[in-house]
Amino acid sequence: MKGFPACLEDLKAQGRTLVGCFPLYPPLELLHSFGLTPVVLWGMREDITSLALSDRHLQPYACGVARCLSELVISRGHELLDALFMYNACDTLRNLPEILQAALIRDGRELPLFRMHIPAVPLERPYAASYLKDRIRLLVRELEAFTGRPFSQERFLKSVSLYSRRRRLCGELEKAAAEGRFSFADCAGIILAGSRMPVEDHIPALESSIQSAGGRDVGGERPGVMLSGILPPPMILLETLEHSGLRVAANDIAALKRSYAYQPAETDDPETYYEDFYRNHYPCTTILPSADRRVDTIRRIVRERDVKGFIFIGEKFCEYEYFEIPEMEKMLRNEGVQVLQLEMSMDDILNLDAYRTRIEAFSEMLCQGRQCKEA
Amino acid sequence: MSSEKSPGKFQKNTSGKRLSGIIANDYLTLHRRASEGAFVVWIAIIVPAELFNGFENVVYAVPESHAALCAGKGAGRILCEKAEGSGYSTDLCSYARIDIGTAFDGGKDSPTFGLPRPNLLVSNNNNCSLLVKWFDVYHRAWNVPHLVLDIPFCYEDQKESDFRYIMEQFGTLIRTIEEMSGQKFDIEKARESVKLSSEALKEWKRFLSFAAHRPSGITAFDSFVQMAPILTSRGSRQLLDHYRMLADETEEQVKSGIFPVPDEKYRLLWDNIAPWHQLRKMSGRLADLGANITSASYTYCIGALEGRYDPYMFDGGDPLAWLARLQNFSVCPHGLNLRGKAMKEVIAKNAIDGVIFASNRSCKVYSLMQMDQMRHIREELGIPCIMIDVDHADVRKYSEETAFTRLEALLEMIESRRAQ
Ligand code: SF4
Ligand code: SF4
Repeated sequence: MKGFPACLEDLKAQGRTLVGCFPLYPPLELLHSFGLTPVVLWGMREDITSLALSDRHLQPYACGVARCLSELVISRGHELLDALFMYNACDTLRNLPEILQAALIRDGRELPLFRMHIPAVPLERPYAASYLKDRIRLLVRELEAFTGRPFSQERFLKSVSLYSRRRRLCGELEKAAAEGRFSFADCAGIILAGSRMPVEDHIPALESSIQSAGGRDVGGERPGVMLSGILPPPMILLETLEHSGLRVAANDIAALKRSYAYQPAETDDPETYYEDFYRNHYPCTTILPSADRRVDTIRRIVRERDVKGFIFIGEKFCEYEYFEIPEMEKMLRNEGVQVLQLEMSMDDILNLDAYRTRIEAFSEMLCQGRQCKEA
Repeated sequence: MSSEKSPGKFQKNTSGKRLSGIIANDYLTLHRRASEGAFVVWIAIIVPAELFNGFENVVYAVPESHAALCAGKGAGRILCEKAEGSGYSTDLCSYARIDIGTAFDGGKDSPTFGLPRPNLLVSNNNNCSLLVKWFDVYHRAWNVPHLVLDIPFCYEDQKESDFRYIMEQFGTLIRTIEEMSGQKFDIEKARESVKLSSEALKEWKRFLSFAAHRPSGITAFDSFVQMAPILTSRGSRQLLDHYRMLADETEEQVKSGIFPVPDEKYRLLWDNIAPWHQLRKMSGRLADLGANITSASYTYCIGALEGRYDPYMFDGGDPLAWLARLQNFSVCPHGLNLRGKAMKEVIAKNAIDGVIFASNRSCKVYSLMQMDQMRHIREELGIPCIMIDVDHADVRKYSEETAFTRLEALLEMIESRRAQ
């Protein structure tokens, strides 16, 4: 698969206006409805080979997501992107916009930046919902000024339909992987590619993968594991996992399941749409009011999908994820689920052997007494 | 505050002794009132504690402050290790680890025997959202309600819409306590408390203003220690009286020619949370080199609006409005430009020779702007700066020798700049 920067180069060559969105859950549909191509700046770990520029601005204890994002924006943002969008997704990301702008300005370049505060209190409170709606209205006005086109309800509805279709297809593909009809490594790769791809191109890619799924059996009887984290682990580890006899029965990955699990009702009103979107979002450690629902949601999935093992893919220095691990682990052990914790840092990523050994050992433990390995 | 006899080293003078009494009394009172049935709220440091004084019988505890005290008393390591033993990552903020280590072990090893169990948890996310995650741990473990105050981050001055949003949330907070405790909120009591806070903050700034004197009348270490009652006694007459006496006493000492570092050659600024486990050692060792950290962003921001230094005074109007406007009185909720603005003002005001950026992996919100800030200060003001690694409460993540190699390099840079 093409690397992140190469994908953006292709999109630029097509004459698209690219908005680089900070993770995790930006209002993609709204940006799209203005004729913009939003790309979400994560999942670059394997494409960003040097962090030299980011390291001039961020200490090494910033998470890998922030460091890769910074490297891309500082090194090539001016040629690959037309604007940036960020919201208060996490403490680390909120510190970045001025740093990145300063770095760009230093090199005589600047990118328009759209910023938005999404309420971190329950949107059931009327004032929180109305605060969010005001922010959406403001963003609409800023996008109108940026693109020179007025907001269109019709176009917004079309964008919503496209993203809604995409989310559904992601869910279907994930199901195929969970049933052993499709490799999860491939599934994750295809879904993650949506971060760097126009939704119009992503949909056919998902459709063709789903079509090809029926004929493949990658081992429906193998012990099911569930993966959790911000990003999936590197492809090679997913392959190790599957080759060592495990099946990814479910996932709770922010860039995967948490992004597509909930689809708001389709409407041409962005204020209503995003209120629904953020209010009922699949639980995520970064969506603070949703955190209480997380343990129950995962317990339910673990039971429904007969999960035997749970793998935390810790994004090193991501406090959001790490705070919830002990509680989650306790619940999982009560459910009789084995737990493995892996920690991904930008430095460790260069040496994947240790991770592979641990995954293989975990697999052996889960596979005891079964014929798991691929022939 | 330090005495003339032992430059830079902590010697308890009147203010110091009074402070120890206040803190001990605050924790004792907290435990006593909780045991007598007061409604107990655990809060993050910028939660407007004055509101609780608007109720008859509500007490509050500040886990961050408790964690700082533990670190200062040398209990940081053992309490962190307890949390780590329960599965909490060593990369999490050391305040959180200390507090979780205390809370889940019944207050053992804490100099205050921990904190009384809360009836309500109130966090906010402007210092950091980590606090929300940290309080969520207790919320779910103990089934205690957790209310989050969502305070938008400031890249510029607080916006009117954000102010209104914060006011609404204060309303929710008040109603929640009324419903849970059965007590009625009295705005006049809150007004009185806000008045006292505002006056106390003015005295606080007066105390800090002696950092402008040459040699400085204070060290930043004094301010680190003396900020504790802002967290435990906010909105009280006791706090106002203490800060007034502290400022008076400092003034008196300056007039009498008593200075913490009498042969002060280097005037430094500290950027980050106090290194709680190093206060004595660091201040003493620096004083021996003729260096005084006179100012700290951690303490000069207190009581001021975003990017400013002077206190934001209460005008006698709506106390909730004052609290809402002052919801960003620490550095962490400010963007790079606002932080830089305040820092430049202090550098000029206090004739700072060099800046120490304490890079603190426990507190990413404070630290992940420092590389750029350091560059700006160096380039715009030509002031020498260094960065050292210091975890504010976990001594295991600090190397004194490495830090002092850099600190000495900073002093050399200052010398060579002077020679130019
Ligand atoms: S991995 Fe965590 S800390 Fe990093 S950008 Fe994502 S949410 Fe923020
Ligand atoms: S991360 Fe920083 S701001 Fe947050 S609780 Fe820890 S020390 Fe305080």
